[in-house]
Amino acid sequence: MKGAELNSEDLEGALKGLLGKGVVDCLVMPHRAGKNVSYMLVKDADKIESPASAIFAPSFSVNAANLIKGWTIKEKVGILAKPCEIRAAIELIKLKQMEKESVLLITVDCAGAYTNQVYAEHYADIGDEVDSAKIKELEGKGITIRESCAICENKLAAVGDIIIAKGAGGNVVVAGLTDMGVDALSALELSLEDKDLERAAEKEKIAAEAKAKLDALPQMGSVEALEEFLQDCIVCKNCRDMCPVCYCKECFFELPLGKPTGGDLLNLAELRGAIGLPPGQLFYHMTRVYHVSTTCVGCGACEDACPKDIPLTRFYPVITKKVQDIFEYVPGKDVEEPLPFTAYEEEELEDKLR
Amino acid sequence: MGEEIKGDFEPKIVGFTCNWCTYAAADLAGTSRKKYPPNSRIIRLMCSARLDPMFVLKALLNGADGVFFSGCHPGECHYIKGNFYARRRIAALRTILQQFGLDDRFKSYWISASEGEKFANTMKTQSEEVKKLGPSPFRGKIL
Repeated sequence: MKGAELNSEDLEGALKGLLGKGVVDCLVMPHRAGKNVSYMLVKDADKIESPASAIFAPSFSVNAANLIKGWTIKEKVGILAKPCEIRAAIELIKLKQMEKESVLLITVDCAGAYTNQVYAEHYADIGDEVDSAKIKELEGKGITIRESCAICENKLAAVGDIIIAKGAGGNVVVAGLTDMGVDALSALELSLEDKDLERAAEKEKIAAEAKAKLDALPQMGSVEALEEFLQDCIVCKNCRDMCPVCYCKECFFELPLGKPTGGDLLNLAELRGAIGLPPGQLFYHMTRVYHVSTTCVGCGACEDACPKDIPLTRFYPVITKKVQDIFEYVPGKDVEEPLPFTAYEEEELEDKLR
Repeated sequence: MGEEIKGDFEPKIVGFTCNWCTYAAADLAGTSRKKYPPNSRIIRLMCSARLDPMFVLKALLNGADGVFFSGCHPGECHYIKGNFYARRRIAALRTILQQFGLDDRFKSYWISASEGEKFANTMKTQSEEVKKLGPSPFRGKIL
């Protein structure tokens, strides 16, 4: 791949150049807000200040793909975010929720993130960026990364149009993965050379660690365990609203059949003797986990959004991973790969049917 | 409800069949006077691809002791490729149900229009299997 090694000042220049040289019309990227980071939509290049302190910050507030979901505008939008967010964006392109040609996807390396509350609280300890050694050290102090990050196998930037990878001595390696990405970097007048990021060993190590964490999570295994797991759910549907790949404009659970009220509920109560309120906890989550089964990128936004602190990472990413495994599908890996439910092989899956 | 059914348990099974193959097979089983247990209630769909996995989930959560789905053999769909899509959806749904031990209550078959006998036999074995499993864990629960 074509790329260049930049120091933090050059990186700032490059990002400003994306806007200044008209490669993108606007840029969605993290910016520092006190002890925390949050996303901003930038039009004016001068508003980008020392981006290196924000783009690698191990803090997760909202999935960036969710912020631009369903935008149908002519302008080109650049999105600079973590791998899970860019993977969600790629799934949204496949789901026709945005145009491939109208977004420039820029992925940064991630080592794992803290919820934005934990990050703000322990900013003095955590700092602007972390690596796996630092994460282990902080774990000793009781500051742990989000569970969904602990089980994430795709922490290295490897998808999208451009990647920003951490290099040696605080430098970063910026490289284009697609023609659009290489064109964008050429327009910035960076001296591009062939960059060979040898990261297979690192990737393997991350995957092995993630697998160990995933296997250590408690398994549900029975209906009783599922009911206990979801008993606090108030069906507020925040997990759906914050999910980047839950994209229906009109959700079934907002329609009369999915959200019965008044007389409909009375009828149901008469049929069953009694009905739990709010109705449809199990039905809602079981349906949703099926709906996102092939596209869930495991970002953990659902867990962060839950006002009742239900550890939804143990439900959504864990179960959807098993479905993705039977189709050998990794969501967000390749924009050209069809979604499993839109394709088929003539001979397949017969052993999975009974 | 939960207590009464312990003695002689007759399961309630909801079935989804496609119009062109399995529904015709059920018809054939009837016209050729094959005997099979009366536990299943069949809902006819125009194609197996019409089966939204939500139907299965809703039936299970509302206390059906078993749910089955049956369509044309793969490659013989009346609409060319409907059952290929259905097969992927069912495989995904089954993987999810497995996580909660519910997959035994959900069966899927391919039964063509000429297989009336197979339909009757399938209904027989299915009924016995679900009887062995006992009543649905959701029966009588306040959900």
